[in-house]
Amino acid sequence: MKPAKFEFHAARSPEEAVTLLDRYDGDARILAGGQSLVPLMNFRVLQPRALVSINHCPELNYIRQEDNYITVGALCRQIDAEQSSLVQSRCPLLAAALPWVGGVANRNRGTVCGSLAHADPLAEIPAVAMALDAQLNIRGARGLRTIPVGKFFVSDLTTAIEPGEMLESVKFPTASPNSGAAFVEVGNRAHGFAVVGVAAYLEVDNEGKCTLARLAAIGVGSTPVRLRIAEAVVERANNIDCALNDVANCSGDRLEPAGGFHADAEYKKEVVGVLVVRAIKKAYASYKIRSGH
Amino acid sequence: MSLPETNYHIGHRMLRREDDALLRGNGCFVDDLPEPLGTLHLGFVMSPHPHALIKSIDASEALKLPGVIAVYSGEDMARWIKPIHTEIHFPGYLAADRDVLARHKVRFVGEQVAVILAEDRYVVEDAVDLVQVEYEILPSVVDVEEAKQPGAPLVHDHIPNNVIFNGEFATPDFSRDHAIGGNMLRERFRTGRVAGVPMEPRGCLAMPEKSDAIVFYTSTQIQHLVRDGLAHHLGKPETAIRVVVPDVGGGFGTKAQLYPEELVAAALCFKLRRPIKWIQDRREELLTNIHARDHIYDVEIWFSSEGVVTGLRLLLHTNAGAYSTYPFGCTLETTGGARMIVGPYKIRNYAYTSFSVASHTCPAGVYRGVAQPSCMMAIEGMMDRIARKLDIDPAEVRRRNVILPTDMPWVSAVGVRYDTGSYLECLEKALLESDYVAFREAQPMSRLDGSRYRGIGICNMTEFTGMGALAWRARGLARMSGIDSATLRIEPGGTISVSISHAAAGQGHMTTFAQIAADYLGADIRDIRIIEGDTASSPYGTNTFASRSAVTGGGAVIRSAVKVADKLRRIASKMLEASPKDIVLRSGRAEVTGVPQLSVTFKQIAEVAYSLCDTPLPDGEDYGLEASEYYDPPVVTIANAVHIVEVSVDAQDGRVTIEKHIVVHDCGRIINPMIVDGQIHGGAAQGIGEALMEEMVYDNGGQMLNTSLLDYLLPTAMDVPAFKLFHIETPTIDGLGGFKGVGEGGLIGAVPAVVNAVADALSAIGANVNAIPLRPSYLRSLMRSASATRG
Amino acid sequence: MSEKTSIRLRVNGTFYERSADPRTLLVDFLRHSIGLKGAHVGCAHGVCGACTVQIDSRAARSCLHFAIDLQGSDIKTVEGLANGDELHPIQQSFHENHALQCGYCTPGFLMTIEEFLRHNPNPTEEEIRESLADNICRCTGYANIVEAVMDAAKKLRGEVILEGGKDVSP
Repeated sequence: MKPAKFEFHAARSPEEAVTLLDRYDGDARILAGGQSLVPLMNFRVLQPRALVSINHCPELNYIRQEDNYITVGALCRQIDAEQSSLVQSRCPLLAAALPWVGGVANRNRGTVCGSLAHADPLAEIPAVAMALDAQLNIRGARGLRTIPVGKFFVSDLTTAIEPGEMLESVKFPTASPNSGAAFVEVGNRAHGFAVVGVAAYLEVDNEGKCTLARLAAIGVGSTPVRLRIAEAVVERANNIDCALNDVANCSGDRLEPAGGFHADAEYKKEVVGVLVVRAIKKAYASYKIRSGH
Repeated sequence: MSLPETNYHIGHRMLRREDDALLRGNGCFVDDLPEPLGTLHLGFVMSPHPHALIKSIDASEALKLPGVIAVYSGEDMARWIKPIHTEIHFPGYLAADRDVLARHKVRFVGEQVAVILAEDRYVVEDAVDLVQVEYEILPSVVDVEEAKQPGAPLVHDHIPNNVIFNGEFATPDFSRDHAIGGNMLRERFRTGRVAGVPMEPRGCLAMPEKSDAIVFYTSTQIQHLVRDGLAHHLGKPETAIRVVVPDVGGGFGTKAQLYPEELVAAALCFKLRRPIKWIQDRREELLTNIHARDHIYDVEIWFSSEGVVTGLRLLLHTNAGAYSTYPFGCTLETTGGARMIVGPYKIRNYAYTSFSVASHTCPAGVYRGVAQPSCMMAIEGMMDRIARKLDIDPAEVRRRNVILPTDMPWVSAVGVRYDTGSYLECLEKALLESDYVAFREAQPMSRLDGSRYRGIGICNMTEFTGMGALAWRARGLARMSGIDSATLRIEPGGTISVSISHAAAGQGHMTTFAQIAADYLGADIRDIRIIEGDTASSPYGTNTFASRSAVTGGGAVIRSAVKVADKLRRIASKMLEASPKDIVLRSGRAEVTGVPQLSVTFKQIAEVAYSLCDTPLPDGEDYGLEASEYYDPPVVTIANAVHIVEVSVDAQDGRVTIEKHIVVHDCGRIINPMIVDGQIHGGAAQGIGEALMEEMVYDNGGQMLNTSLLDYLLPTAMDVPAFKLFHIETPTIDGLGGFKGVGEGGLIGAVPAVVNAVADALSAIGANVNAIPLRPSYLRSLMRSASATRG
Repeated sequence: MSEKTSIRLRVNGTFYERSADPRTLLVDFLRHSIGLKGAHVGCAHGVCGACTVQIDSRAARSCLHFAIDLQGSDIKTVEGLANGDELHPIQQSFHENHALQCGYCTPGFLMTIEEFLRHNPNPTEEEIRESLADNICRCTGYANIVEAVMDAAKKLRGEVILEGGKDVSP
């Protein structure tokens, strides 16, 4: 399990990175954390002709608040996002999801944008992006374009990033002060990859009614799935207890997960429902803490 | 039992001598060995098909790569290496040899068909990718029951219905007496395919040595058996092969086989007279290192209305995989499960039929426990079912059936002698320490909690340890010696070497054997060095597996130490002008009893023994201060333990939490309690993994789905509890030293206890738990069926 | 295509310059280009943790990095833990608590734990188990490793008196 040969380039700027990518007609990859890419290269499932490292582009390593968004640059490590007070206060769903991503050794080097660009169907950060209607800034030879998350995830390990392009940053809308967020996941051992996971973001009014509910699930499709029916049920309910009761009993979004030896399809469908309830409970509890109620 | 000179060491918690180097990263595992200039690296082309004819192999592109030296096929290797043959003597056993590299046919995904030699480890993989093999795909079968059906694709043409071996047995009065109890239950238990998965994959380095010899470094547990195998299959004299075991990163029985890659590396070293190195990667490790425990136990049990078992019948199917493995063949799991299922119980009427069935899967072998975790799961599962049927507490059912000390020595239904044991004592202690009674009292209330199902499970297990020659013969292994050896030598400078025919893979032999030698010799332990894992340093032995090192290595060390101790006393008695029986050996000195100022050091005695001073030897005494002894242990030494596990199961997502795990273990006389605890912790963790999450999965097309550690789940620190261990010491009366083996016990006891606990938890809803692993989705499907049945 | 190139890495405070292919993984560069064999290859896909070193003081999988990309970073391996003859308190605790058996996973655990205790000097057992959950050990069942981490935390907090790395508390 040693990788195949490749040409290596260390870019010093994002412009240089895409220029280098462009030379290889789609057969080059960006190397940031490498935590998803390099295993596939070691298995020789992926054999890019070239790697363009952005690890020497410090200008890409940032977390900033710009208007009503938290923007995370391509080189921002997952651990830095997890520990960032800006993320914890303004993007609590991301802060809640990050501890579930691999282990500390992976998060120390893996990047937020890298996880998005890789689009593993069981990855947590894509679910966060989905739930929050994130915007993705993609750089190519002709400059920057922004696309909404709904158009970004195409399928299993496939995004809207074209050959010669890289994901330069991601924008998450800042969370309302009257919001709560949670991420819950179950797997076949206490710590490991998810079988099913749910990201939940709630905005709550003074009467304890959820005015906004965003729910995204992993493990039930080739990309994260917004649970729009469940969201509507929660938003219709008068208060959180009704919301929990209604969503537990509703027929739910039509999900057709694939079964496998880790878990059958029936299990995934039913556990999504279980995790939705748990995630909403947890998100509501986090709202109470954040808003001081 | 021989008595030691001192008891300063055996029984004491001594820290390990192995640790310093390992902690500093200065271990020397096979990939750490220095690579001389000119070392060639091996890479293997593996079959992607479970069953296919090899039509052609085109290595032309691979050979063009700079750094690639040669490519060899199965036909090439067959000129230098005989097909791997394991000598098994069992009536009706059908042998199937294995070509070292497949020649006409491949029989499991991962079977090697060609080998590349290259100058660099990365390049060899490039070359592997470029070899084109053309296959004609044949139908395949992976399931053990399907493989036995008439019309199933045959793995070997000469083995009808893929049945390699079939055993039949019944106690003389079985038909007459088995059903006397009046009640009967039957159940089918299925254990999933698992594997040892040591953290260090396998590897070897073959080095040319003086004249026409080689030194063969390999990550193995069985240095002498590897030498035997290499010599025989390569047609070389044993004297031309030295096998040396470096530090080994976990064995677990996975490394107690001789594998094709080792034969290939050794053969190429003989042929090319260059160092040949091969290091396995994790994908190869999962695909090709022996698998185990793909078993079905169809059990019938007859019992009285008091829950006393009157009869037991077993129909056992074990999946042997595509080939017989060397040296254990395809019989060990099959005979093991059938012989050990009676456990610690007085079951006099017993019958079994067993089948070892071939399939197009990775060959099976001796992973830690070897059928015992599975057969104990079966018998302990039946004990709980008897309890539920009769509404008697499961602990009480066991009390009514265990062999008591007053019954011992006991001869089991299959003729195995249980010399001593503490089956009831361990049970009572475990029940006490796990607050079992309180749990049962609280259980009706706790069953009202619909969000979590709570259960408690018991495993009262016996374990075969330290098997000697006769035990191996009884299992059909005609060429398994059963003996082990030790050469203990006091060097001229007074330091002491003990060369033992074992090979550690983390069990702390450097420390534990030194403890035994120090006590039986009366030596200062700091003067003792244990040398292992080298066919040049110790006489022949059966090496390390099946919980044997304390028994057989301990016995051999004791024999040699006692001999040298006698000689020390004889020479000292002359030096001190006292009678040998008045000489006591202590901390490296020989003293006259009661007169400590009259003493000589071992070093001073050595100087006499090696003629390095003016004092002559006593009359009739030979020079030197050493003894080389073999030890054939008793047929088998039975160790025992009770595991009690408490679990809670999430009713909504099916996940199991282990709330408590108590072990009361009896491995006879304990050498180093710290090491014993470590073995039990490690085994129990593997047992938890086996019960809850580990499984090697083949799909219907014969593809192995777990090709990485993302898919074969090993338990982490968050999956295992803080174990609570207790010890009872019931020394064996049959073996020297009183030691019983302990290496596998933790695993054997854990699997049934965890399964019984979950079964107990889900019995509340009428779900039947009889197959592992207990993945959350499987438990939820049981819960759904149970609630559907309840309407 | 690609050829060997000169790679200069700072490891345990020393600069090493070696010639290697760009595709050489950090773990292989350490082991075979420099000769620091403490980091071990267990899986080559970042799951088992046996290859864990520290990059810029953070635990990282050396099987998932290319040496060529780490020029300018500061790498620490298990060989850099001890202070000459004196074992690091974490190593000493491992020894005293029998937290290693075969030793293959041990360097990876040590480097993970060293970072963990720096950030969390007073952890609970649960926090310890969580921090260890990405390093696999097949030998010890983790029980003694958890004890060793508790013990090492005490030593590092100064709650035990050490002399030559050994606990000589009264």
